[in-house]
Amino acid sequence: MRKNKLSNAIILVVLAVLFILTPLLYPNQSVPFQMMAFMTLAQGINLLYGFTGYLPFGYVGFFGSGAYGVSILVLLLHWSVIPAVIGGGLFAVVVALLLSPLLRLSGAYFSIGSLAASEIVYYVVSNPNMQNITQGPYGINLAGIYDPNTSYYAMLVILLIFTAVVMYVKNSTFGMSLLAIKEDPVSAAMAGINVVRRRVAIWLVSAFAAGLVGAVYGWYVSVFYPSSVFDLTISIFAIVFTLFGGGGTVLGPIVGTIVLYGLYNTIGVSSPQYFQLIYGLLIVVLVMFLPQGLTSLLKRRGINVP
Amino acid sequence: MQSRFRKGTLWAAAALSGSMFLAGCGTTTSAPASGPAKTKSPAAEISIGTLYASTGSFATSSMPEYQGLQFWINQVNAAGGTYVKAAGKKEKIRLVSYNDQSSAQTATSLYNQLITVNHVNMLVADFGSVLTSVAVPIAQEHKQLLFDQSGTGTTFFTPNNPYIVLTSLPTSALWPTSLANYLISQHYKNVAIVYCENDFDQSQDQTLTRLLAKAGITPTYNNAVPTSTSSYTVILHNMAATHPQAVIELGYPNNDISFMQALQASGSTFPTTFTIFPGQLPSLFEKNFGMKGLNNMFTYPAPPLFTVQGVNYGMSIAQFEQAFKKQTGSSPNFLNVAGYNTGLILQKTLATATSLSQKSMRQAVTGFSGSITTLDGKFQINNQGAQIGETLPVGQFTVSNGKLKVNFMS
Repeated sequence: MRKNKLSNAIILVVLAVLFILTPLLYPNQSVPFQMMAFMTLAQGINLLYGFTGYLPFGYVGFFGSGAYGVSILVLLLHWSVIPAVIGGGLFAVVVALLLSPLLRLSGAYFSIGSLAASEIVYYVVSNPNMQNITQGPYGINLAGIYDPNTSYYAMLVILLIFTAVVMYVKNSTFGMSLLAIKEDPVSAAMAGINVVRRRVAIWLVSAFAAGLVGAVYGWYVSVFYPSSVFDLTISIFAIVFTLFGGGGTVLGPIVGTIVLYGLYNTIGVSSPQYFQLIYGLLIVVLVMFLPQGLTSLLKRRGINVP
Repeated sequence: MQSRFRKGTLWAAAALSGSMFLAGCGTTTSAPASGPAKTKSPAAEISIGTLYASTGSFATSSMPEYQGLQFWINQVNAAGGTYVKAAGKKEKIRLVSYNDQSSAQTATSLYNQLITVNHVNMLVADFGSVLTSVAVPIAQEHKQLLFDQSGTGTTFFTPNNPYIVLTSLPTSALWPTSLANYLISQHYKNVAIVYCENDFDQSQDQTLTRLLAKAGITPTYNNAVPTSTSSYTVILHNMAATHPQAVIELGYPNNDISFMQALQASGSTFPTTFTIFPGQLPSLFEKNFGMKGLNNMFTYPAPPLFTVQGVNYGMSIAQFEQAFKKQTGSSPNFLNVAGYNTGLILQKTLATATSLSQKSMRQAVTGFSGSITTLDGKFQINNQGAQIGETLPVGQFTVSNGKLKVNFMS
């Protein structure tokens, strides 16, 4: 237990130091900001997929709900920024609560169901009849609260909080009960675990993570359209980063995001055709030889991966 | 066991740091389209930063616009540069560009990259509202004037905003003025409209219905569809059921193509059928539907389908067509014109601004606003930076002697 605490503390400190120092050394703040955003989203996916086996293709629905949540609270209700960001996260929790019957599905059915649900949320938000609330297709302008520096550090705080949440879940009886449910829900229920309640709980926590990230993202970019914050590639990136690093671990999503998002920034922008080729090859190799992600390389050698 | 555990944690921390370094370095070394990015522009040249999308949903529009801008740069550099008033001499142009792959998230990083790492002198947005939207606050934050080529989003233009200038298109709310005038002049009473749920199309629908309402015309059908709509068959039948004299479809090129496919398949005909993009991308539509498919279709014809009269700055459309074809080997379309037109606005700004600061450049643009006419039309902005000088006429395609022609209706 003590070893775990030490390694977890090291990870949090390294993350904090890196993301505090990066803008001082490298002037384009957007790169580390987006890396933190994807890292937190990957941790949110990790909470759900890594511990319950549910893979939400429609995870971006919570991200977009958070972005629109903060917009509504600021523009319509005139909340100040920080409460609005938290409120944005809670918007996503409300959406997740409404969608919690999806947890009755499993496997591919759940993944596709969540994807369809996120599309529903997208079309509701962008509907012209919602113009008085969400501005419909006209997009959002939060220029009045635009503050890239504060929102950068807000994203760092959220990253650290949800990395700590994953650490807690991984080492707690709650996390173990989730893993038991993942392995065999019937046996877990017979052992006295409230399967439905625990699944819903982690589903809501995961949605809260995405909602907060979406809210801070909305604050950071301040001008966006429904198609920008409900973009399916956000889900895909977060899922691939998690799977690449390794679900069910603290480090997996972090390493996956840094390696793949780094690769994306290195060659994806200048030579997208090579990037897509390399990305595709990497995923094929991963699925064939490392289905548990990069961190499984360490596990195979008997090294404990936090 | 303990040493293995420590080794694992240390390995992970080292990997994290190393990868982070790699990720950070990645963007620094991302090669722009025209040579590696440099952190500072040499004094003897003007650096222009822009983004383009070679893949994704905006690629078909972004690339031609980008080619138009590149064409302008090649022309300027071949002539030994452009006059820069702030330097008191001619200087060459260096283009620093990145591929945003039609992603607003990627564009956010890259606009920042252009400003904070490449330190470009002038910032030009990518095509359309979605990819321009993220640049608006970034430009404002860094006190940089954003030359917005074709992002006509209504949220960008706020009173006395000195950080944005729309160069090559009027704001979308102005587009349907000529269409409304035409419909009113035809004394149509039954008008059916379908529009996509996006800023560009809905603002047009609002303007159109407002102008029609003033003339006592209430559309018999006026519904929105998701921008991703690819089948208009049922919608078309619903519109036909209202016996419209005019059917108006407001969408992006993909929507227009889907709509026209449904129209062809259904065999329905209406006295007036209007779609936006055949007039701007005629070769794309001719490739999909042939001349016969475009015959009698109403649209907004744009240069080079029509010639702007009284051009007093830059090439005329005939000169542009000839030079563009010579340089690129292909005939230009409207988006090529839009990109070139942006270049002309940059050129005029450089020729009149007393310094390269945002304030000075914006003052210069305001100064020549309304006084220059390019091959794209009259360049005039309001105090919000929105383009109000250009107008889009309504035209109808006809086939005559085996050639596609446009009859102008307004």
